[in-house]
Amino acid sequence: MRIVTDISMTAALGAFRTQAPRTRARGWVRLVVTALAGFIVPLLALLLWQVSASRDWLPQQILPPPDMVWQSFVDMVKSGELLGHIEISLQRVVEGFALGAVIGLTLGFSIGLSPILDDYLSPLITAFAQVPTLGWVPLLMILLGIDEGLKVAIIAIAAFIPMVINTRAAVRAVPQGLLEVARCFMYTRRQQLLRVVLPASVPTIFTGIRYGLTHAWKALVGVELLASAEGLGYLLVWGRQMFWLDMVLLAMAVIGVLGFAMDYGLARIERRLQRWRIGPLGDPS
Amino acid sequence: MAATLDIKGVEKTFSIDGRAVPALAGVDLKVEPGEFLTVLGASGCGKSTLLRLIAGLDTSYEGSISLDGQRIRGPSLDRGIVFQEPRLFPWLTAARNVALALENAPLAREAKRRAVDEHLALVGLSSFGNAYPHQLSGGMAQRVAIARGLVNRPEILLLDEPFGALDALTRAHLQDELQRIQQDEQITTVLVTHDVEEAVYLGDRVIVMAPRPGRVAHVFDIDLPRPRRRTDDRLVQQRARILETLEEISGESARPLATQPVGPLEARPALA
Ligand SMILES: Nc1ncnc2c1ncn2[C@@H]1O[C@H](COP(=O)(O)OP(=O)(O)OP(=O)(O)O)[C@@H](O)[C@H]1O
Ligand SMILES: [Mg+2]
Repeated sequence: MRIVTDISMTAALGAFRTQAPRTRARGWVRLVVTALAGFIVPLLALLLWQVSASRDWLPQQILPPPDMVWQSFVDMVKSGELLGHIEISLQRVVEGFALGAVIGLTLGFSIGLSPILDDYLSPLITAFAQVPTLGWVPLLMILLGIDEGLKVAIIAIAAFIPMVINTRAAVRAVPQGLLEVARCFMYTRRQQLLRVVLPASVPTIFTGIRYGLTHAWKALVGVELLASAEGLGYLLVWGRQMFWLDMVLLAMAVIGVLGFAMDYGLARIERRLQRWRIGPLGDPS
Repeated sequence: MAATLDIKGVEKTFSIDGRAVPALAGVDLKVEPGEFLTVLGASGCGKSTLLRLIAGLDTSYEGSISLDGQRIRGPSLDRGIVFQEPRLFPWLTAARNVALALENAPLAREAKRRAVDEHLALVGLSSFGNAYPHQLSGGMAQRVAIARGLVNRPEILLLDEPFGALDALTRAHLQDELQRIQQDEQITTVLVTHDVEEAVYLGDRVIVMAPRPGRVAHVFDIDLPRPRRRTDDRLVQQRARILETLEEISGESARPLATQPVGPLEARPALA
């Protein structure tokens, strides 16, 4: 067999090869710059806070100075108290999120693949999504009491909604043209699902998973505010009741940072899963 | 040995917005085993639709399409198709896109890998096996699709404007490769094109379709031995006759044939 080797192609190949390391270096620098840029505003806010504290713009009971919040943070870490609250909260999120994910992904795939199921279930799910998560608390309190079951259920509901909606949309958006290719090569239904539907819908499904986790985390704090004697949300309520504003602030900071870390982790996985989408210059295309 | 493809009284009507759009009406065609049939016709005259029906992707039509008397009920590995668009899977490399075609082929893993490599080389993309579709040009993507169509050596090969996005040299090379494989393996081939020169160079028969509704308007036998010379006088004459026919048809349907590219040697027909 003869091989086409024209000049333009060899040139194109050269460009294709040499580009990789250069863009990687450029991408790395840009990553650092982006990361630093994200710190500027929080640092300015911290500075303002420090200035405000040293000039006594607000009474200490309302806005405790940064070093005081830092000190209580250190104390609570040393005593192991903070870690205990974090553990409890994380456990609830993991359980609720896992439950919501299993139901959300399964249901999303089912209604995405079956128009009949979709006709029956989609209106209900849309209506379901309109109820704010905490709106479920009164009803579920009667059914489940105010123990762990309630918290896990609320978190599961919060995580479930973006996952079912995104999974359904992703499965429906799989290009018909690609499914036809699979049919021409006699792919079984199972092969079509694993080789076409699943990879084509992964990006959108993953967006749903990220939203699901964010929603789960928010719902956790909400439900802990209402009914709990442990966890980060409880720390907020307790701090307010005792008028320990340093504790309120540190609980908020911990919630924010943990939420950010989880989302960041998922975003990294997302990028890895869809490397094929990253354009030749490292830009998501 | 390939089967005889028999198309009888095929009518296909689409509905767009509740309105019936006849895409094909009364198409009768018999393609002998090993024959190379080329199809010409204005945009929208139902060429792609006809290929889809033969591929078995759409079975809701009037009339019958059969192979040795057996009605086509769905796709088969014996019938390969190269679509008008490359339709590559964006999450797979070029090599793995070609390998898609062999997923259900009765071959050992090593044989599959070799077949994929050979066919990437055939379309001049050996060094791009690991490139993703977004890293390929339009013509390169189309060549990957051609490799995917050829790799499992179907008995009937359907090609929808496979060389449309290619430069003249690559196109000529791939035409010759396709012809060689088609002759070696006696693959029954139906190739849709807008290029009259390509149609007469490759085809044992050229059919010209007319639009609204899509039908076979003329059939030209190209009775020349292979290998053929592109500059053969008889090919040039056939080409002129077919161009005339195309012009007549476009005159009848009262619209310019702006989408018909004309070979560089030919005087461009005045556009209506
Ligand atoms: N899925 C569809 N739904 C509705 N109408 C369709 C569909 N596919 C094709 N058609 C109609 O059928 C007719 C023929 O289309 P087809 O794609 O077969 O044309 P073609 O000859 O391949 O044109 P081109 O040379 O531009 O590729 C057109 O009028 C088109 O509008
Ligand atoms: Mg077409």
